[in-house]
Amino acid sequence: MTAFKKIEDHLRKEAKNLLEGGKVTLVLAYARGFDEKHPVPCVVKAAADADHLVFNEYCTYNMARYLTRYPVGTKIAVAVKGADSRAVVQLIQEGKVRRDDLVILGIPATGMKNQKTGEVIDAKTTASTINPVLYDVLLGDEIHGVKAGSPYDVLAEFEGMDKDARWAFWKKEFERCIRCYACRKACPMCYCDPCFMDASRPRWADKSPTDDGTLMYHLTRFYHLAGRCIDCGECSRACPVDIPLHLFHKKVAKECEAMFGQAAGMNIEDKPAMANFKGEDSDQMLG
Amino acid sequence: MKKIAIDQFSELVKVLAERGPLYAPVKGKEGVNFQAIKNPADVTLDFYNTVLSPKSVFFPQSEDMIRYRITHGATEAQPVPQESRPAVILGVRPCDVRSFEIMDRHFLGAGVIDPYWKSKRDNTTVIGFAFDVSAAADPADFYNTFGYGAADPEGSDVFMVRTDKALLLKSMTDRGKKLLDSLGFLQVAGAQDEKVFEETVKKGKAVRTRSAEINPQVIAKKLVSVFDNGEFWQKVTMACIACGACTYGCPTCYCFDISDEMLFKEGSRKRFWDACTFTDFTLEASGHNPRPRIFQRYRQKVCHKYSYHVDKYGCISCVGCGRCTRVCPVNIDIFSIVDEANKL
Ligand code: SF4
Ligand code: SF4
Ligand code: SF4
Ligand code: SF4
Repeated sequence: MTAFKKIEDHLRKEAKNLLEGGKVTLVLAYARGFDEKHPVPCVVKAAADADHLVFNEYCTYNMARYLTRYPVGTKIAVAVKGADSRAVVQLIQEGKVRRDDLVILGIPATGMKNQKTGEVIDAKTTASTINPVLYDVLLGDEIHGVKAGSPYDVLAEFEGMDKDARWAFWKKEFERCIRCYACRKACPMCYCDPCFMDASRPRWADKSPTDDGTLMYHLTRFYHLAGRCIDCGECSRACPVDIPLHLFHKKVAKECEAMFGQAAGMNIEDKPAMANFKGEDSDQMLG
Repeated sequence: MKKIAIDQFSELVKVLAERGPLYAPVKGKEGVNFQAIKNPADVTLDFYNTVLSPKSVFFPQSEDMIRYRITHGATEAQPVPQESRPAVILGVRPCDVRSFEIMDRHFLGAGVIDPYWKSKRDNTTVIGFAFDVSAAADPADFYNTFGYGAADPEGSDVFMVRTDKALLLKSMTDRGKKLLDSLGFLQVAGAQDEKVFEETVKKGKAVRTRSAEINPQVIAKKLVSVFDNGEFWQKVTMACIACGACTYGCPTCYCFDISDEMLFKEGSRKRFWDACTFTDFTLEASGHNPRPRIFQRYRQKVCHKYSYHVDKYGCISCVGCGRCTRVCPVNIDIFSIVDEANKL
C-alpha cells in the first residue's frame, strides 16, 4: 500500500495541477483540523491553497457527501476512498451529479481509524471496497492480496437473534438517540430537501424526541436507503451516542443484493435497484 | 469540610438517591452521561467529562408544559406541575458548573422568569467535581480562555475532590453546608485534608487547556464588524453538515422549539431543544428563511454566544468545555473560529 504521506503529496500535486489548468473550480478533500488526529473536510479553490490538503488514517469522511451542494455543471475534483467512490457512482446513477463534471481522485486505503476510538474501521464498514470502484486519477497503488471479508460478516451476531431479540436490540439502541440528525446529515445519500422529518404538512413524526417519533425517523430512513447505502459507515461514526446504524443499513443492503443481484454504487451502468424493474426481480418482498 | 472513603462512596449515593432525585454520571455504551439514578451501583467517577452536558437536569431535552384532552366540543387543559422535591446533581466538572450561572442570566434574568428552569434550579444542590489535576486536559477543551481552572470550586454548592483513598467534600454555599450537615455518616476532614484540597485547587490552575486572549467586549464588537465577511464565514464553516450535535451537547445553548403533539384525543404542548444549525431553525410559515445557508446559521451560533449574549447579558455564553468540538462529526472547532475572527 502507498504510504499515507505519499498519497498526501500526490493529492496536493493533483489538486494544484487541476486548479491551475482550470480543469476544475474546486477540490473536495481533507485539511488539518485543530490537531493532526482531527482532520476536517475542506474545499480548495485556489492552487496556492493546495498545500493545506492532508491525508492520514483519520481522514474517514466521505467527501461525496458534499457533491450535491454545488449546482450541476460545477467542475469538481473529489478525493474518494473505496466506499466513498461508490457514493459517487450511486449519485451519478441517481442523476444527482454528472460524470463529466467530476475528476475523481481515487485513494486505495486500508487501516483507516475511527477518530474517537482509534480503532481500525475497515472490517466494520468498508470491508469489500478497498480500492475505488471508479476514478480518473489514482493517488496510490491499488491494493491487492489483502484478504477482504464480506461486508456482511459483521452481521453474524445480529442475524443470530430472533425477531423479538432484534426488536429489543433496536429499541434499546434508539433510547439513546437525541435526534441531532447527524446521521442523515453525514450521509452522502441523504440529500432530500426537505427531509421528510422536517416537513410540517403533513407531519410524519413527532418533532420532539418521543420514542415513536425516533422509531419513525430511523425506520423510514433505513428504508429510504434501501439499495442506495454504499456502506461508508459515516452515519455510525457521526452519531454522538454511538448507535450502530450501519448494522441495519448493511442488513437491508444484503437483502437487496440477494433480491436484485446488485450492490449499490458498484457500477455506473446500473440503474438504482429501487427505481428499476426487471422481469427476473425477486417478488419475495411482496409475499 | 467532610470526607468519605472511596469504598464508601456508594453509601453516599444510596442515601442521596433515596432522599430525592439524584443525577450523576453513569457509564453507557456511548460513554458517560448524567442520568437520574435508580441503582446506586450505576454511578461512576471514572470519566473525563460527560459526552453531553449536565444542562438536561434543569432543561430537559423535552418537557411537557400543558397536557390536554379534547372531548365533545371542549378542551380540558392542565399545566404540568413543576418538580418541587429537593434534588442533587453530583459530579459536575468546574467549567460546566459555570454554565449554570450563564443559563440563569437568560432563564431568570431576562425580565421573564422561566418557571421550568427555576423550579429545578432552585431545588437542586450542585456537587462539583474537580478534574484529575495530574492528567492533561482534553485537546478540545479551552476553559482556560475564560479563566477557569480544572479544580475551581466557585459556583458549586459542594465541591468534591478525589484523593487516593477518599473524596473530600467542601461546602461552598449555605445550601451545600445544609446538605453536608444532613449526612451524618460523613467523616470530618482534618487539617491535612484541607491542605490537600487547597493544593488541588492550586494545581488545577496549572492544568493547561488551549487558551486565547478573548475580551468579551472586544470580541462582541469584532464579530459584528466581520458579520458581513461572507468569505470568512463560508471558509470556516465549509465542512459543517448542519446537524444538531454541537448544540445538543453544549451546556450553554438554550434554544427550544414548542409544539403540540397529540395522539387520538390526548396530547401535550411541549418544549424541546432546537438548534440554530438546523435547516428549519428560522424557517417562517410563509416558506421564507432569513438564514437559508449553513454559514449564516453557524455564524448565528458564534455571534449569539460571543457577541449578542455579551450585549444582552454581559458575558460570553461559552465555558470552553470542548464538547461541541468533540461531538462534531466533522471537527468544526468554535475555539479556532473565534480565535481567527478575533485576529481578522
Ligand atoms: S446510510 Fe450510513 S453507511 Fe450508508 S451511505 Fe449513508 S452514511 Fe454511508
Ligand atoms: S446521529 Fe445518533 S443521536 Fe443523532 S439522530 Fe442519528 S442516531 Fe440519533
Ligand atoms: S460552545 Fe462548545 S465549548 Fe462553549 S460551552 Fe458550548 S459546547 Fe462547551
Ligand atoms: S458544527 Fe459540527 S456539530 Fe455543529 S452543526 Fe456543524 S457539523 Fe453539526
